[in-house]
Amino acid sequence: MNGLTPVSEAALAPVRQALRASAESQVAEFRNGALQEVSAILASAQAEAAQIVTNAAAAGAASARTEAALRSSRVRREAHELVLARQSSVIEELRHQLAGTASKLQSDPRYPELLARLRENCQDLLGPEVSVSSSSDGGIIAVAGSRRLDLSLPVLAEMTLDSLPEARELWNR
Amino acid sequence: MKDSTGPAKEPIEGTDPAPLSDRFGAQISHGDIREVRGPLLVVGGAGGVGWDEFATIDLAGGESRHGLVLEVDRDLATLQVLESTDGMSLGGIGVRFDGRPLHVQVGTQWLGRVCNGRGEPLDGGPPVTGTATLPVSGWPLNPVYREPPQEPVLTGISVIDGLMTLVRGQKLPIFSVPGLPHLTLATQIAAQATSSGQSFRVVFAAMGLTHADIAFVRDRLEERSAEKELILLLNAADDPVIERILTPRIAPTIAEHLAYTESHDVLVVMSDMTSYAEAVREVSAARREIPARRGYPGYLYSDLATLYERCGRVKGHDGSVTIVPVLTMPAGDITHPVPDLTGYITEGQIVLAPDIAARGIYPPVDVLSSLSRLMRSGAGKGRTREDHPDVAAQVLAALARARQATELAELVGEAALSETDRSYILYRTLVEKGLFDQARDESRTLEDTLGRAWTALAALPDKELTMLPRVFLDRYLPRSGS
Repeated sequence: MNGLTPVSEAALAPVRQALRASAESQVAEFRNGALQEVSAILASAQAEAAQIVTNAAAAGAASARTEAALRSSRVRREAHELVLARQSSVIEELRHQLAGTASKLQSDPRYPELLARLRENCQDLLGPEVSVSSSSDGGIIAVAGSRRLDLSLPVLAEMTLDSLPEARELWNR
Repeated sequence: MKDSTGPAKEPIEGTDPAPLSDRFGAQISHGDIREVRGPLLVVGGAGGVGWDEFATIDLAGGESRHGLVLEVDRDLATLQVLESTDGMSLGGIGVRFDGRPLHVQVGTQWLGRVCNGRGEPLDGGPPVTGTATLPVSGWPLNPVYREPPQEPVLTGISVIDGLMTLVRGQKLPIFSVPGLPHLTLATQIAAQATSSGQSFRVVFAAMGLTHADIAFVRDRLEERSAEKELILLLNAADDPVIERILTPRIAPTIAEHLAYTESHDVLVVMSDMTSYAEAVREVSAARREIPARRGYPGYLYSDLATLYERCGRVKGHDGSVTIVPVLTMPAGDITHPVPDLTGYITEGQIVLAPDIAARGIYPPVDVLSSLSRLMRSGAGKGRTREDHPDVAAQVLAALARARQATELAELVGEAALSETDRSYILYRTLVEKGLFDQARDESRTLEDTLGRAWTALAALPDKELTMLPRVFLDRYLPRSGS
């Protein structure tokens, strides 16, 4: 009960109606606005989500490509290094065999002549005061003061191997 | 001195082996070690030994190290030991002098190999052998027999190919500051670069890099290495300093042989030359030379020139050597001796800028400070495409104007600018995002690069495209709606 007289009530009725109508239309406007805003936000969120998914897929594919390339390159490198390591061991084996075989040349009939020539070389390089001794592996070792020249057979064999182009071909194939 | 009247003949020593006794002199072991001081070793009784001579140091335990003669005083020779003198004592050391500066065997066997800064294998393989033995310091080339650089080397990187085209036989450095992706860029160039018609080979010389950087370089270049198109020489930051002096000499020595004997186009990438110059400074201090600017020796200019001038093309030979040195400018100072002296020798520069990197653009090339002086010899009709030089000029001119417009917009606001100025600001965004910015593993064709340049230029009104002939506008300018 609002304490108004019936006459006043009747007089205010149109005002109330007008107020109500205006409030209702405002509500409808708000609702429409809110609905539009919601659908706009939804649409932009969906677009953004789609964009994020696309970007993520692209980034994922790119990183997978990079990762795959990296892995394959590492595997390829390991394979290549295996080949190189094998070549290295071939050389080592060759050098080892060569050192062993070189020492056996002491029984060759040309060995004394080789020794004489090596002695001459030592005197040319280190002077007449050079002291020359035989190496246990064959060949000679010359000493003059603080200078020493090792011309033992394994050293000579190694020097020869390093200078032969055809020997290099063995491990470059 | 080598006879400099003929073309670049190479002394092919390995092909005609000398008698074994000729090499006995290099087998003499000197045992009179007077002093071990820091990285230096003083040897007595070493008459006849020369400067820069290479030596092998045999230790008592059977280990061998290597050294370079830094100074000779009567019969005293001072050596710098490459692997340091750690664990050495005066007794039991024998030094064998090679009788000549460091030589390397050169040939195609280098391709696909990974070696340290002085050419010793890091990949577990046998020592690299070759068909000839050459001094790493190289021979001066008779200027009359040089051919001017010509035809492009395409890197697949838009900003370089489009605006500062690298030319076969050119030397074009990358100037950077610490923290920028210069190594990534150098590696990308090494991975992607090609030249038309010729077989292309790359020598990548790394100096003073961290192990993480070296791992990155190896991974990135593995594919080209596996194709036997690339040689890696890797000197790490913790490797001997003096080795860093040899690395940029070994690289061009190998490259020259591949270019002038095997007829390949060879690109030599050297990173980082500032590390090299610091090594030169350290050795100079050890030789007690008078320091010049910032402690670097006074001969740094001619020293750098002996490296950079080894690029080029030679009459009567098909191949070429192109050099891309990378150098970091300490504190971004372009007047620092290393970039300053490099700039005098090289034919242009590619400058990387931190503010461009901060905007997320890769490669962060400051195009208005960068230049390839020989671009005209490598771009244009018959070499790349008829419109290339004009497009490059227009892109650069428009960027200069766009920079002015951007500065004006900062003062008065973009809304107060004229329609034309606003189009320049839009153009700048388009050119940076569409043309300059590129993925780190993306290789673009020249057609693609020029297409992107035209797309950016289309943002400008036609009346602003004053450097492009009408015929090119009609042929290449994309019209809206088309």
